[in-house]
Amino acid sequence: MLEVRNGGFETTVQDYPGRIGMLSLGFAPAGPMDDYAFRFANVLVGNPPGTAGLEITAGGLVIAFEDERAIAVCGADMGARLNGQPLELWRSYLVRAGDILEFDYLQGPGFRTYLAVSGGIDVPPVLGSRATYLPGAIGGFEGRKLQAGDRLPLGEPLTDPAQAAGRRVPASLIPSYPGYNEVWEVEATRGPQADPDYMTAEDMAFFFSHHWKLDAASNRTGYRLDIHKWQWARESGGAGGGHPSNILDNGYPVGAVNVCGDQPIILCIDGPTLGGFICNAVVAKAAMWKLGQMVPGWSYIRFKEVTLEEAITLLKQQDETIHESNLERS
Amino acid sequence: MAEYTIKSPLPGIFYRRPSPDAAPFVQEGDTITPGTVIGLVGVMKTFHQITADVGGKLVRFLVENEEAIRPGQPVAVVSDEV
Repeated sequence: MLEVRNGGFETTVQDYPGRIGMLSLGFAPAGPMDDYAFRFANVLVGNPPGTAGLEITAGGLVIAFEDERAIAVCGADMGARLNGQPLELWRSYLVRAGDILEFDYLQGPGFRTYLAVSGGIDVPPVLGSRATYLPGAIGGFEGRKLQAGDRLPLGEPLTDPAQAAGRRVPASLIPSYPGYNEVWEVEATRGPQADPDYMTAEDMAFFFSHHWKLDAASNRTGYRLDIHKWQWARESGGAGGGHPSNILDNGYPVGAVNVCGDQPIILCIDGPTLGGFICNAVVAKAAMWKLGQMVPGWSYIRFKEVTLEEAITLLKQQDETIHESNLERS
Repeated sequence: MAEYTIKSPLPGIFYRRPSPDAAPFVQEGDTITPGTVIGLVGVMKTFHQITADVGGKLVRFLVENEEAIRPGQPVAVVSDEV
């Protein structure tokens, strides 16, 4: 068991890749916003892919362990301390019954950090996944964020915790996050509704060059970007509606940039699965993790156009990177 | 006399009022006690209260209403001399 002493601002149980294959039934995948950090944390403690861990947003979590386990914290620096001693990120540690792990608030760039525990968080799977889907209030621990007093069951570790402890991700594989007021470069493919049918070539050139400000009202459902007066290729949405951003309702890809009138919104992993606005680009799957470390109200995004083939290559490279064979023993 | 600052643990937008039409939570010069709400931080479509951890006189605010703030940023100064 793992006892929650303070749930922090927004801490949820997540697994990767989440509740996939259910978009047609209206279920977004959920899962970790930064799957790069989340998956590496699992690798560090010897967990197989798909094991559930915690997503800690903006800090404040305090937990107590009741078992001997390997743990790893990867992602944003929240001044994590184990029994009062500073904990290094991207490294596995051995914890014992009675140990306390505390997170302060954000100490630098980044917004989320991930805790993996060997054996994983053993909450019951819902529709095939332990990921918390907050808008639908399902999965994770009672379908909600954690709060003081919650007791999370742990699974049996596959690896001896003492063996899994003491490993680290090499410095070359630890991403450095752009700071406040700095720009993240995010790979994205053009379309499905771009130029010349829905937007003009100038609209798309602007889209791929502008430094888009991330609004403070951004969360796991959607990332709001600046209002922009688009030229549009059409006078109206025709049968889809009066505004040229309207189309007949269709399915939305995860990571799509959904343009609702003047406002682009990136549909994140808890986002809507269908609707009647155009999507002029889709964030490459291998770049989705970057969204998880952007700070709402402070970060900027520049979309870098990639082809579908390039997006697939990025994903293969990422899968090869997040692998036990790349770890160092410290 | 000692002065303390009240910090925001969260990044986001700082609000001095519970809603746009309401009066501010506190005014400069008001006496506050530990736990007094002095403002809100809005981020991720949720609002978190910022409370005083010491009592005294709220001397001045260091950020404007609806200004973007960083985690750990001091938002107000409190004096223990009421």
